[in-house]
Amino acid sequence: MTGPSELVTRAQAGEADAIGRLYDQHHTEIFRYLWARVGERPLAEDLTGEVFIRMLTGLPRYRPSAAPFRAWLYQIARNLLIDHYRKIGKRTMVSLSHAETIKDGTPELVTLIDQRLTMERVHRALTRLDEAQREVVTLRFLSGRSLQEVAQTLNKTENAVKALQHRGLATLRQVLNQA
Amino acid sequence: MNPEDILQERLARLEAGELLESVLSGLPEAEAELVRMAVALQAVATVEQSNTAAQRQRLMRAAQENRTMSPQRPRSSWVWPTALAGGLATALACAVLVVGLAGLTLWLNLPQVTTQAGTPAPVVKATDVPVQSADPQAAVLTHVRGLVEMQSADGSWAKAEAGTLIRAGARLRTRALSSATLAFYDGSQATLGPEAELSVETLNAPKIGARAILLTQWVGESDHAVAQSDDPASRYEVRTPSGLGQAQGTAFHVSVSIAQVVRFDVTEGVVEVVNLDVIVMVVAGQSTTILAGQAPQPPVFRIEGEGEVTQTSAIWKIAGYGFLTDATTEIIGEPRVGDWVAFTGHLLPDGKRFADRIVLLHRAIENRFTFTGEVEAMGAIEWTVAGKVVRVDDVTRIEPDLAVGDEVEVRGGIADDGTLWATSIQRVLPNGFRFTGVVESIADDAWVVSGISVTVNVSATIEPGIVTGDRVLVVGQILADGTWQALTINKIESEAFDFVGVVMSADPWIVSGIALATDERTQIDDDLDVGNRVRARGRVLADGAWLAESIEQLDEGKRHHIEFTARVQSIDPWIVGAVVVTVDDQTKIIGDIAVGNWVTVKGNLLPDGTVLAKKITRVSRAQGCLIIATVVKVVEANQLILFDGQTVALSEGLDIQGEPQIASVILVRVCVDEDGTLRIIRIIVISQLVEVPIVILPPNDDGNNNNKRDCKEGPGLGLGHCKDKHNDKHDDDDD
Repeated sequence: MTGPSELVTRAQAGEADAIGRLYDQHHTEIFRYLWARVGERPLAEDLTGEVFIRMLTGLPRYRPSAAPFRAWLYQIARNLLIDHYRKIGKRTMVSLSHAETIKDGTPELVTLIDQRLTMERVHRALTRLDEAQREVVTLRFLSGRSLQEVAQTLNKTENAVKALQHRGLATLRQVLNQA
Repeated sequence: MNPEDILQERLARLEAGELLESVLSGLPEAEAELVRMAVALQAVATVEQSNTAAQRQRLMRAAQENRTMSPQRPRSSWVWPTALAGGLATALACAVLVVGLAGLTLWLNLPQVTTQAGTPAPVVKATDVPVQSADPQAAVLTHVRGLVEMQSADGSWAKAEAGTLIRAGARLRTRALSSATLAFYDGSQATLGPEAELSVETLNAPKIGARAILLTQWVGESDHAVAQSDDPASRYEVRTPSGLGQAQGTAFHVSVSIAQVVRFDVTEGVVEVVNLDVIVMVVAGQSTTILAGQAPQPPVFRIEGEGEVTQTSAIWKIAGYGFLTDATTEIIGEPRVGDWVAFTGHLLPDGKRFADRIVLLHRAIENRFTFTGEVEAMGAIEWTVAGKVVRVDDVTRIEPDLAVGDEVEVRGGIADDGTLWATSIQRVLPNGFRFTGVVESIADDAWVVSGISVTVNVSATIEPGIVTGDRVLVVGQILADGTWQALTINKIESEAFDFVGVVMSADPWIVSGIALATDERTQIDDDLDVGNRVRARGRVLADGAWLAESIEQLDEGKRHHIEFTARVQSIDPWIVGAVVVTVDDQTKIIGDIAVGNWVTVKGNLLPDGTVLAKKITRVSRAQGCLIIATVVKVVEANQLILFDGQTVALSEGLDIQGEPQIASVILVRVCVDEDGTLRIIRIIVISQLVEVPIVILPPNDDGNNNNKRDCKEGPGLGLGHCKDKHNDKHDDDDD
């Protein structure tokens, strides 16, 4: 049985098998996180690949004492997003048609949940949150990270994350109620 | 319990497997909706990626290439603190900052590359060797750059190649512009800087059980990354002529001067430094010095950074701050006022700063120009090149045998009245190169200089008496098949390089097989891509790394390209550094530019001698940044009080990594803007002490204790920007 830290150590030593296993363990959550953030599946898939290439080049610099591996990997993903947004020159992408959709109608939340949310709709709604709330909601509920892991990833206290998750869900509820 | 806590408590129950109905029981409807919202979101998050197999395969291929072709080398702290240089807006830069400050690693990829024609190109260094030893009683020599030698049994020195196994009893040395790493079986690494010498006394480094790595460093500098060992009997010791340091699972830097002044800088964990039966515990962020025949000095916290030099003498001013220097201060590259340097130093007990090392990174660019063109007239005091008159004098270096009609590059300075004074006029060589390196081998038809194989033939001019280990300037041409052909080889102390090549990788940059380091001051043309022909210029740093000052696209049509940096004197019409600049619809103007700003103008010289700008870019004139290690004494809601009594305001937007607590060792990055404004950019927690160290500062001239300085007007940090009675902005207290 290989523990997470040993796997990382082996990956740092360049063992391809360990690198592959790190990919297997984390690619889905990273992909979901990125999809929620960029709202486009193909782009999220490309960015996911890039995250792991950056992981590869960054592994020699990674020190477990500085941050848990998963938090570090999310840091890479977040940095990549920042680079991506910088490259395209904007922070959020809401088309006019999407914006109009968000304004229209006021179905009840229960109805909305019954309709089943899609990732695209969630993404559009997330764009209405501020950056900190968006990060917390995405990591917490779409990537399934614990409160403690989100705090580590975002370098925030757990209390700050609690407050952001509360406000984020409340804002999201409001936005989706208006949709 | 507040609503945030209630929500989290319910979510935790849900995550623990409790049914939704039960979790919602007793919850107000508004809060229950939030829990349902969370559940709905979790239900959405079941999407799967579609291209995982191909993506995984690409990753595996990259991993394989990385392992076999791209050995990476640890950052050497004697090179330059690149981690301090980057734009710090991104968290990635931040992560690099942490690592860089911890002195751990800056990794340069140096992959084996081929030219477009498929011919192997010269590579500064690519070593197909394992990054770790396969034998607990041997270390493998890896990441070899420049000339590294091992002593033979008869006392002579022979070149040691990457992959050489190093066992107990071995003695190694590195020459100028050279470095190498010893990779041990347990994962520990020792990296030797330039002109260092080290013996391996004892070597047994199993991954399980007691490790014994005992090294003696005779001179020079080394970095050590010690693998964690669970065995309390494990030892990793670096002995020096003036004491030793021992560590478990930590990272530290050792410097031994020729005068046998020894310094241990700890970047991670704790190191015990011992001499004359005196033991000093040095924690991350601290240094201790041992003078020959003396006990280790009490540890002090370090300062690192980069900035512009505004004064040189016994007191240097860098990034707006004064630094004391003395004979022990190492000054590399002959920095002058206006140049950009990296520095490391420490705080003295009285709060003043002392510079241990100052390394030139970039020469000043202000009021400097470069252009190429045809020689139209040659005179004793002035030349005309591409319609532009340039003044020459005794200090102008003019390549011999130039004639009217030759294509030349002119470099120099712009006087206040706009006169162009040439410092050099040299022939432009298509695909030319010039670089400084250390001679590794000499043969009749080929030399190896800093890892680059250059061919020599009968027409090459080679200064007599050059031997291996010498630093030389090589000038030549890159031939169509990728061969680097030397035209002249001379002994020289210059560290500059300048060559034309093909981009093989962008960021990390590899041009014609040369791995180029870059930093925020490197000027890189927009939209460069693999395959572009570029001109790369910069400096070869102490350990042989090539730091680019510029990478610019070669436009074959712009024969009369000109580039200069100066202050804007007028806009519409544009006058920059007394040079009239024409702009048209095609001119790109980057940044919000006003009269008085510094700008770089790139463009073409027109036949009438005027300059048509293609691009005018505002140049950042920030003075630099410092990073200081210190300890938190008190944590308050809106500020930290440091162990020396100064304060750091926790303003909004301040990037704090980790949670500062009482007795936390933190790194604080402070930058100085063009107007002298101080900005605290980032705080990083790097370790936790058991208690806050006690600092007793000597009294001031007026008898008051320095601890009582009122620092509430400024960011504090012992950086001299407290509101002292004679200090209105920042730091003149040393001067």
